[in-house]
Amino acid sequence: MLENLETVMFYGLVMACTLSLLLYLTWLGTKKDVIGRLATYLTIIALLASTAAIILRMITSGHPPLSNGYEFLLTFVAGILAVYLFAEYRYKLRALGAFVMPIPFLLLMFIIMSMGPEERIAQAVPPALKSQWLTFHVVTAMFAYGAFAVSFGLGIMYLMKLSKEGTQKKSNSQGIVSHFPALEKLDELAYKVVGFAFPLLTLCIITGAIWANYAWGTYWSWDPKETWSLITWIIYAAYLHARLMYGWKGKRAAWMAIFGFAAVLFTFFGVNYFLAGLHSYAS
Amino acid sequence: MEEKNSQDLTERIWRAFSSMKLGLALLGIIALVSGIGTVVPQMEQSPEKAEQVSKIWQTMGFTHLYSTVWFRLLLGLLCINLIVCSLQRLKGIYLRTFKPKAPTTLAQVPQKIRFAVKGESAQLQNSVQEVLKQKGFHSTISNQSEQWGFIAIKRRLGNWGSFITHLSFVVLVIGALVGSLLGFKGYFMEAAGNTIPIQKIELSKGKVTETFSVRINSAEDRFLPSGERDNWYTDMSIMQNGQEVARKTLSVNDPFKYQGITFYQASFANGSSFTVDLKGQKIPVALRDQGQSYFQAPGTDLYLVTAIKSSGQNPEVLYQIYKGTEEKPVQTGQLTKGQTVDVQGTYKLTLNGLAGFTGLQVKKDPGVALIWLGCGLLLGGLILAFYWQPVVFSGIIQAENGTQGTLTVGALSGKMSASTHDALENFVNSVSDLIK
Repeated sequence: MLENLETVMFYGLVMACTLSLLLYLTWLGTKKDVIGRLATYLTIIALLASTAAIILRMITSGHPPLSNGYEFLLTFVAGILAVYLFAEYRYKLRALGAFVMPIPFLLLMFIIMSMGPEERIAQAVPPALKSQWLTFHVVTAMFAYGAFAVSFGLGIMYLMKLSKEGTQKKSNSQGIVSHFPALEKLDELAYKVVGFAFPLLTLCIITGAIWANYAWGTYWSWDPKETWSLITWIIYAAYLHARLMYGWKGKRAAWMAIFGFAAVLFTFFGVNYFLAGLHSYAS
Repeated sequence: MEEKNSQDLTERIWRAFSSMKLGLALLGIIALVSGIGTVVPQMEQSPEKAEQVSKIWQTMGFTHLYSTVWFRLLLGLLCINLIVCSLQRLKGIYLRTFKPKAPTTLAQVPQKIRFAVKGESAQLQNSVQEVLKQKGFHSTISNQSEQWGFIAIKRRLGNWGSFITHLSFVVLVIGALVGSLLGFKGYFMEAAGNTIPIQKIELSKGKVTETFSVRINSAEDRFLPSGERDNWYTDMSIMQNGQEVARKTLSVNDPFKYQGITFYQASFANGSSFTVDLKGQKIPVALRDQGQSYFQAPGTDLYLVTAIKSSGQNPEVLYQIYKGTEEKPVQTGQLTKGQTVDVQGTYKLTLNGLAGFTGLQVKKDPGVALIWLGCGLLLGGLILAFYWQPVVFSGIIQAENGTQGTLTVGALSGKMSASTHDALENFVNSVSDLIK
């Protein structure tokens, strides 16, 4: 019964996400307020549906939704939706939707296409995963990764606007980029989002280390997932340093935000599917 | 002359290490090298694959990358770079936080974000001070005959964020160093009922100086009613001169610590326990399932291996006896609980029952406290740096025809120019409201 409801929620999430992506894109072209508002409402519905699916999964399995790749991805999607909605609301930035929503959409398509029903069902957790630190570890990852996805969207917007308008201040351009905020604002926002996510990523790595020390007796063992999270961390650390010290703003910063998110995706997917290690249970 | 040269050299080295470019380059190299280590198989994680990598790469350390001298050298260089950079910035941060200097000329007011308000000088002074107080700023004032200047700072501890973050790395590296110099790491697998001296465990790192023994009272593989595995449990005691000095039941994620040595439940294996009667001498023997361990009766060339046939209330165990290097067993059979069998007329073998084998990871790491301290500093520093950013406003009132004057205020753009701009605008509006 609850399992069926969870499946309903999952497909509700997929539909809401797909429709909201289409509406955000339409809104960019038409700028009709009704469409924009509808897109936002659908994103809220998507967030509610993903949260409901996660909660239902927790009730049926009796543990945090972290026993397999499906559950991790669902949490990742919820994280992106939550951070995105916050950014849209806080900075009145609906145009961002068209650039962030493709990410949860693609993640959901990935689930549908590559994971059979047997891979999605709740699985028994091995003893090593029975730790409170795990919950904390994944919640921090969810918000950090969600925020990095948003900074990725901002980076894309920046580069699009830059290539259409050039650097001159006059914003007399036509087309969709005219609805984007000023270049400087996009740039600063991306920085703010990375600045919000970076301490969370750090906390994610630290909670992982504490948990590993409880479970295996080593806080750091250079397993591929750990190493890749460190590489992601270094990329964002370099982004922050280059910005503060060398004034790497604008174009270069936008590219680094995109590059950083690529590293996030590799840490999330690449390691599970291409490299094996302690985290192999996550795939 | 020589002295001057050596001074030059020290200064050059110091300058090289104080450059952030070097730090960023080192970070980049470390990221790249770490990435290579996730693609090339590592000895620690997959020794079989690592041994297949060509010899040249093995010699260069690519198969045990994270423990090579040159990888550690990179980390060491980064550490020196961080220390030098931090020391160089220490004085500046201190002055900016606790001894800020109010501007004495208009040129000293930051130009990028600036506002001006005209009004009566005395009134302007009062309202600036009033608004600063309301908004919770710490301010410093310079008062000269013609000019009145101020500098005000809010959330000033945020200045220390980056400093603390960078130093936390040094703490982390020292923690890791202490752990690898003074600690040890090992593993043992023992059956319930057995005692093993801590000196006898298989070590992968360091040396054991402690002398106590570990007795495994019981080892269990427990399942939940749903059929899922609950956890592995080991009830163990620390024995000192035959006396029990500590006891605990540990499981995965619930380690046991004694005198700085931590025992972690790492693995579990099934097995059975026997009594061997060798010419009246009774020897307890525990053997792992599927012939994963064997027993050689003292003074003979008879080897015994066993496998569990059925567990539960009345366990049955299959056994095989091998002689010397012969390929075929000289005796095979099956035992039920309590049953005794004669082995080649040399000894008698009795099955006592099944016994769990617990695999425990044993570690002593005196550096771990430093690691947590480093993590705390890292996180605290980042929170200060990103969630607690200082706001600095400074300004000057220049007198114009008598009591009238112009207030010019500015703010350093810092990390976020748009929001700083808004904050300063807000401040100026409050000041203007007050003088109206």
